[in-house]
Amino acid sequence: MIDLERYPREVTLRNGATLVFRPMGRDDVDRLWVFFQRIPPEDKMFFRQDVSRREAVQRWADTLDYGLVLPILALEGDRVVGDATLHRKRTGWKQRVGVVRVQIAPDYRHLGLGTAMVRELRHLGEKSALHYLMAEVIEEQAAAVRAFEKMGFVRGATYRNFVNDQGGGLHNLLVLLYRMSS
Amino acid sequence: MYAPPEVSCAVAGAGMRPLPIAATNSVTNPVAGAPSRWDNLGMAGTDYLCPHCGAEPRGGPRRGGSRPGGKPGCPYDGLAYAALRAGHDAIYFGQWRRIDSLPTEIRRGYHRIGRHLDAIGAELACHDLPGAARDLDEALEALHAADPREDAPDALRLMDNALSYAHRAIDDLLHERGLPPHHPMDFSEWYDVVEVPFRDEW
Repeated sequence: MIDLERYPREVTLRNGATLVFRPMGRDDVDRLWVFFQRIPPEDKMFFRQDVSRREAVQRWADTLDYGLVLPILALEGDRVVGDATLHRKRTGWKQRVGVVRVQIAPDYRHLGLGTAMVRELRHLGEKSALHYLMAEVIEEQAAAVRAFEKMGFVRGATYRNFVNDQGGGLHNLLVLLYRMSS
Repeated sequence: MYAPPEVSCAVAGAGMRPLPIAATNSVTNPVAGAPSRWDNLGMAGTDYLCPHCGAEPRGGPRRGGSRPGGKPGCPYDGLAYAALRAGHDAIYFGQWRRIDSLPTEIRRGYHRIGRHLDAIGAELACHDLPGAARDLDEALEALHAADPREDAPDALRLMDNALSYAHRAIDDLLHERGLPPHHPMDFSEWYDVVEVPFRDEW
């Protein structure tokens, strides 16, 4: 069982900026929508949903269920600068596998925030009775791959020309796995 | 072969205290190597050793190094987990990692890593951080595989891996307190270090 009482918690970055990590709430729709609007197009190419549409974010808020998807936001004041999610299934053959996703605002990259959020997800995963965490990353996202590998994720598989961006181009998909202590 | 001791959650605080010389190699003070800059400083005639980096507080009026009350001007002073950070860096910047290191220096590095992992284990015993505990296990596993007495060709790589896992465990502890990760290069000026070509962070 994940202990959400650890939130909100302050996290200081290497440049001295202090952010707050906390789970997304139903009233975070506009903050998160603005955050996604600032994500550069080359990164949005790899999104699974069209997050430039507010209703997509609204739908997440309306269906919030931390048992299935736990979104952790990094906030600087009122502004979302990072979004990390832990996705789980309650039943089925992947119920012990948590899927993690991380997105960082462009002006907060190279400050260690991505690594901090992966570290946070790893902690949550360890507390969730999961056996594995899994991250799917496009091979070109080298910084993200490094951040996951730095936290102990290892390359489980590479699928060649497996996924397409919104322009139709094909890319290699890396599956990174982290085995839990349990 | 290095054998870690049983540890419990009873680590003393990092306050300044007199330590016998022999204690510099103990779990209480995990560091068996001090910043090299201190090695060149004049004796201050004190019985104290820095609880963070294990150096004897020294210094003269022109060279610095000691502050009133016998407290050394340690670069780790006031930082969270100062002793663990200093312990890591003393090994990270140690002689064993030089390309022309001697077998004795490698063996010394190996045992220093062992003591460093003991200290991390003692600290982790006070926390519920399974991720960090796993990092420590990985570090111990790498260290055990690296027994330098066996002249194993992979010994240096495995020792390096052990130290990397140790670093990650320290960063886990820091993250839990909301602090940024430890960057050894921030302290490089205290050691004899060649500059790394680049560093990158996400």
